[in-house]
Amino acid sequence: MAFFDRSNAMAKPGFNRWLVPPAALCIHLCIGEAYAFSVFTKPMAQAIGITAPKPGADWTVPELGWIFSLAILVLGLSAAFGGKWVERVGPRKAMFVAALCFSSGLILAGLGVNAHLLWLVYLGYGVVGGCGLGIGYISPVSTLIKWFPDRPGLATGTAIMGFGGGAMIGAPLSVLLMKHFASASGTGVAQTMFVLGVLYFIWMVVGSLIVRIPQEGWKPAGYIAPIASRAMITTKNVVLERALRTPQFYLLWLVLCLNVTAGIGVIGQASLMIQDIFGVTAVAAAGFVGLISLFNMGGRVFWASLSDFIGRKRTYAIFFIAGAVLYAFVPTWGHLHAVALFVLSFLLIISMYGGGFATIPAYLRDLYGTVNVGAIHGALLTAWSVAGIAGPVLINYIREYEINHGVAKADAYSVTMYVMAALLVVGLLCDLAVRPVDERYYLETQSVT
Amino acid sequence: MDQLEERMRPEDSNTTLLVLAWLWVGLPLAWGVAITIENATKLFQ
Repeated sequence: MAFFDRSNAMAKPGFNRWLVPPAALCIHLCIGEAYAFSVFTKPMAQAIGITAPKPGADWTVPELGWIFSLAILVLGLSAAFGGKWVERVGPRKAMFVAALCFSSGLILAGLGVNAHLLWLVYLGYGVVGGCGLGIGYISPVSTLIKWFPDRPGLATGTAIMGFGGGAMIGAPLSVLLMKHFASASGTGVAQTMFVLGVLYFIWMVVGSLIVRIPQEGWKPAGYIAPIASRAMITTKNVVLERALRTPQFYLLWLVLCLNVTAGIGVIGQASLMIQDIFGVTAVAAAGFVGLISLFNMGGRVFWASLSDFIGRKRTYAIFFIAGAVLYAFVPTWGHLHAVALFVLSFLLIISMYGGGFATIPAYLRDLYGTVNVGAIHGALLTAWSVAGIAGPVLINYIREYEINHGVAKADAYSVTMYVMAALLVVGLLCDLAVRPVDERYYLETQSVT
Repeated sequence: MDQLEERMRPEDSNTTLLVLAWLWVGLPLAWGVAITIENATKLFQ
């Protein structure tokens, strides 16, 4: 295991820093499979009945829905509690541990499906796999920020893009494998999970082998580090314990939570929503879901890169203002039956949802410096856990309430859209309230631990 | 000897590794994006 130690991952002179983004992508493209987990829902719900669910024997869809929610909850918790450990052991060991957890989580879940034990699936994919998600998500972030002090947004955006893009590989790959393994006696889910577990392990370990940490004091050729702090970008450092005492941490927690809440509910309900409102076919709705994945991924690179030029605070202000306006207009597009405008609005909203994830590490680096940015980012990801439950619950509950009170299915989302717009306005206020961190929280020395 | 040293420059092995690393992540991603776009076109048919 010494090979995976921090000391053995230090870069030698001449190392090309552009090797680090693909190393990070090896991890994020794999763990991003979590967004594609819904492809297993239907076959898992008929694991006994095979061709159709067998009532009383097969698992129900709500029971299966908890697998993803649990995974996102554990993601946030493991990122929060594992952040300091990741900073201490370095990215190589953290990536390797993430690979072990995520892959063994998939294999345990496969065993659970095979034995029809739901608790084992929860434990495997939700808990063990969720730890892999959390550790894997934060493991390359601070390393990338140290390699790209000149373009932190672009660097983290490229890596976190992988989490958005992982579903685009995971979904079709899982469907292909399930088709291959399906038989008269099984849906092929368990075997698919075993194969994915092995494939993802190999893919992620390659990332941990490539990644390197820059030598202390390294900087890109031609880059002149700012000597004095600018308005919203510090040259000093704040450690996790002190960051947790600053109001900026909680404002950014709310910023991330509200931005994610507004987007995640839509991601989960996109297919159903466009079918309810416009009556399009399931195939066309799947196309809409595909476009959402594409913009979720593309938005991460685009917005995070843009934030390097216009600043993080302004970037988030754009997300919240444009998002609120777009959400407020969605019911109108529904009434006008303007499918193209409806699709365009949601694609922009989702690009900003992805952009929010990718811009937050650079925002934290600007406010708290680079020393503990990975651990602080990990702690902030608990906002994702909360939003991961709040977003879908909010959108599902309001839809059910509206339908139960006689509102037509096509109009059942209007209130939800206005609620989302209101949440984004609150997010804007939080973003506008962010100020530079008070001097008393900074480390006196600049040594990197 | 000079030619051998020229071929063995760390920059060269770095470049090869760089190309391989980007292909390792780029090819599966391109495959996923292509399938997604193919499915998405059905929305407008």
